[in-house]
Amino acid sequence: MSEKKKKVGVFTFTCDEGCSIYMIEIFNKKLIEWLEKMDLEYFLSMKDRRDATEFDIAIVEGAITTERDLHEIKKVREMSKILIGMGNCTITGMPTCQRNNFTPEQTEAIKDDLEKFDFLEKCLPVKEVVHMDDEVPGCPMDEKKFIEVLEKYL
Amino acid sequence: MHTCDLDISINRLSKIEGHADLDIKIKNGKVEHVELHVMENQRFYTQAVKGKPALAVPQIVSRICGTCSVAHLTGCIEAVEKTLDITPSEQTMVMRKLMMHSLMIRDHALHLYFFVAPDLFGIDSILDIDEDKKEIIHQALHVKEAGNNLSNLIGGRSVHAMFEQVGGFTRVIDNAKIPEVVEELKSIRPLIVDLAELFYNCDWEMKRKTRFVALKTEDFSYLEGYIATSEGEKIEEKDYWNHLHSVVLPYSQAKGFEFEGEEYMVGSLSRLNLNKEAMHENTKKDMKKYLDVFPSENIYHNNLAQAVEIMHSIDHSIELLENREFVKEEIVKPTKMSGEGVGVIEAPRGTLYYYLGVEDGKVKYANLVIPTAQNLINMREDVRKVVTDICGDNVAPTKEWEAKIKLEVEKMIRAYDPCMSCASHFLKINWK
Repeated sequence: MSEKKKKVGVFTFTCDEGCSIYMIEIFNKKLIEWLEKMDLEYFLSMKDRRDATEFDIAIVEGAITTERDLHEIKKVREMSKILIGMGNCTITGMPTCQRNNFTPEQTEAIKDDLEKFDFLEKCLPVKEVVHMDDEVPGCPMDEKKFIEVLEKYL
Repeated sequence: MHTCDLDISINRLSKIEGHADLDIKIKNGKVEHVELHVMENQRFYTQAVKGKPALAVPQIVSRICGTCSVAHLTGCIEAVEKTLDITPSEQTMVMRKLMMHSLMIRDHALHLYFFVAPDLFGIDSILDIDEDKKEIIHQALHVKEAGNNLSNLIGGRSVHAMFEQVGGFTRVIDNAKIPEVVEELKSIRPLIVDLAELFYNCDWEMKRKTRFVALKTEDFSYLEGYIATSEGEKIEEKDYWNHLHSVVLPYSQAKGFEFEGEEYMVGSLSRLNLNKEAMHENTKKDMKKYLDVFPSENIYHNNLAQAVEIMHSIDHSIELLENREFVKEEIVKPTKMSGEGVGVIEAPRGTLYYYLGVEDGKVKYANLVIPTAQNLINMREDVRKVVTDICGDNVAPTKEWEAKIKLEVEKMIRAYDPCMSCASHFLKINWK
């Protein structure tokens, strides 16, 4: 008997979604094989259903820049056994967190938006907010490394 | 008579690019308001590029959007080159066209197979499709991979392509790999006929008079031309901004745009409505039945238009790849280091405008106009019409009725193929 399929969720925080788009390109060759071992339980790019409450593997991209991001990444961590960070935004925060390095003039220019939409004082990589079990660096993430990391947990 | 009062909220629309919420308020059978909240958190790229070397900026703004990164890269490169008086070589232009074609194939395929097709089959995800129709998943992956391999051949990568730069490409195409890529492109042609047939037979209809706007190019290459509208206007690329009027949407992290004070639409449907004669001969021959649908005011024909564009991008790519030997070229250097310039291209979702001001090689100010932001007001008015039409039946609100509105509205928004990651980018400019 084959093992039970892994429940996988893909979660996007603040970023350009380049890593999940790149993951979908990796799917071109790997999806059919991976679907033997996993069910995509949450992935808003591919399905609307969102009632899953626990995941064997959470794949996350992006940085944490607002109160809502912060609340949600903590929730994702609680619901997931393994959490994998895709791309540099999850590891170093860059490039999404570039506002952290703005000059006072630049910060002043974006101040109203920061206040209005509940931005955090500093933008943070996922890694600084919750424990990441594994990571795939790159912008977008490295293709080979992603395959290696995901297959380790499938 | 019953009247309907209903507040509908959709939290995080699925199967679109990025994050948006939608609120609709209906009172006494009338749609009081429609608010499409672009909830994509701003990443402030138009601020971030200030002070950065102009030659490096295209690779930075590529990160505005992982979906259509090639469009941002290419549009911004054009703006930098116009600013610094750089004329790219003919081969560079051919390679940029190939990059844009690879993007259209990948991006439209993602939208049509993964985002829209589930609505056609009445399922949530294409992965849930019945066993006997599973072939469509394999087709989707095959089409996308052909586009992906074309991107890899020209730009080194499909997302944030490394080789495409201001003044040229840092690597020449490996000529030995061309036959394989051409064969793969040829192999997906029959799949695109099937895909177009699927949308041709789809009876969804939503018509509302609006203005269609697109960059009209001689070879339908998405680069270089003039801006045309369905009202007959002709505008030079550099003057586009003068016809636009930005509209603040207080509830949203994006602003909208009007053209000459009215809503308008950009994207595949606009391009087909305004420029279908320029498509590749092979596309015109094999897709005639589908091309005859245009011009059309039916927003759902944006899906069919995308399928036709995939075919054109395949055919034009094959021609460009088969008819030349690619040679190593030097990157063209700037002839000046200060100035202003505009780049306008057709991104998958419509006209993309870049404006740069450069001083001593560094960016002083930047502005961009994103396709989805241009469509926001048109989309809002279309949502209003869809809801009004359903309310017109004067049926008392029930759970089913609310579900019908949600379904129809989401389906309609998806037809626009909106990209919220992009839409949240704009700049408040202090003109001095």
